[in-house]
Amino acid sequence: MDEVATKIIDILKKHMKEPMDNIGPDTALTDLKIESLDLAMIVFDIEDTFGIEIPYNANEEAADFKTVGSVVDRVRALIAGSGAAAAKA
Amino acid sequence: MQGAGVPHRVVVTGVGVVTPIGTTVPEFWAGCKRAQLGISPLDGFDLGDLKILIGAQIRDFDPKVRLKHFQRDKIILHADRYSWFAAAAADEAIKQSGLETPFKDPYRVACIVGSGAGGLQTMETCYRDLFIHKKRATHPLTLLRFIGSSATAHVGIEFGVKGPTFATCSACSTAAHAIGIGRDYIRHGLADIAIVGASESVINYGVMRAWQAMHVLSPEGCFPFAKKRNGTVLAEGSGILVLESKAHAKARGAKMLAELCGFGMTSDSRDMVNPDIDGPSEAMRLALEDAELAPGDIDYLNAHGTATTINDRNETNAIKKVFGKHAYELAVSSTKSMHGHPLGAGGGIEAVACVKALEDNWVPPTIGLDEADADCDLDYVPNQGRAKKVTYAMSNSFAFGGLNAVLVFGPPPA
Repeated sequence: MDEVATKIIDILKKHMKEPMDNIGPDTALTDLKIESLDLAMIVFDIEDTFGIEIPYNANEEAADFKTVGSVVDRVRALIAGSGAAAAKA
Repeated sequence: MQGAGVPHRVVVTGVGVVTPIGTTVPEFWAGCKRAQLGISPLDGFDLGDLKILIGAQIRDFDPKVRLKHFQRDKIILHADRYSWFAAAAADEAIKQSGLETPFKDPYRVACIVGSGAGGLQTMETCYRDLFIHKKRATHPLTLLRFIGSSATAHVGIEFGVKGPTFATCSACSTAAHAIGIGRDYIRHGLADIAIVGASESVINYGVMRAWQAMHVLSPEGCFPFAKKRNGTVLAEGSGILVLESKAHAKARGAKMLAELCGFGMTSDSRDMVNPDIDGPSEAMRLALEDAELAPGDIDYLNAHGTATTINDRNETNAIKKVFGKHAYELAVSSTKSMHGHPLGAGGGIEAVACVKALEDNWVPPTIGLDEADADCDLDYVPNQGRAKKVTYAMSNSFAFGGLNAVLVFGPPPA
């Protein structure tokens, strides 16, 4: 796992009532027993850590956030996007 | 149970506090006995250019210890400090009441825990993040932390209250209004149990600047009724009561600590900061009438006693108007001299002081009273509390805006 994945898993663990050790890209977020408020705090922490903004609405089904791997992929894409924007500026 | 139309008598079966002179009721009361001063130099945040540098802060409160056992409320440890104080005081009061939670008949329980200002510490942090640190977002719990109803919601969730649950907001009368309304709900059969009071925690740079600009804070200390008084001192804390109908308490064999026998409320409807005599005295008169007592029946009066020039003189005159000659026989004290002015929470903490005075037949002092003001000539129990038979006690709360609420406590009914 790369640094992005490791950091995201650390953030997830921080917000879990009972942190699990065997979290990997295939782990479903539903298995982590994350509730809606926890998700808001996780998104906030991820945004803060990577300096990105994750478009996310608690009222909508978050298709990007089904598994840990899908979150990592999304964050990688956003980091690449913000990097590109920074290069342009 | 009493029949329709016959008001229920309402008793206190539990009390809880978090104050600068003790973070549980036994510690608070021991602090009153020692005439303990809870005011000290401010710390815990950057004081910057503040001119007022004292306050009554709570330093020995760890939410991770006091609220560790909370079960149903999963985010209490993420809440604002004012919600922590309410949760801890409610927990103490409910434990003392012996009531089982979550409540068996949850729709018959009310939870009315007010706050004069809500989570202003959270807002200070939020605005600093946005405007100074240029952060791209506020913490996701900012809204839930600061709303003025979050303390009552946290308490209601943890203890399983499903009846009327809301916060009152009337500045320094917030707790007394919450207690009085809870009593009326039980009295008129809308609830059997009510968790009532208020909580406050607003000592931070921005709020200190706002109070400083009002020029009503003392740079030296809180000296109610004293000649040297020159303003109040901000405090933080919470005071919560568990109220029950006498029938409900009796049926479960609960220990009744006191009866909440009178409640009066008025508004001066005159001025935001200058109180008049009529509003406060009429609130006291209504509370006595409600309790079916004569002025001479009151033994102890816990004054609003903020140590501002105008309040203490006005309150003294209002007491004289209601009590006549008996005003000079009454023991009147301001416990704010010890625990400072916790704004909306004051009436809750002071209601607990009244219940303890009844239980103990001991009246708490007004400390720092070396020389009384010529306009303040009552018995303010200067500097040391004293043993005195207390059958009935009154608690005054008079707020900015002229919002007045008065409670009367009496002996537990047979």
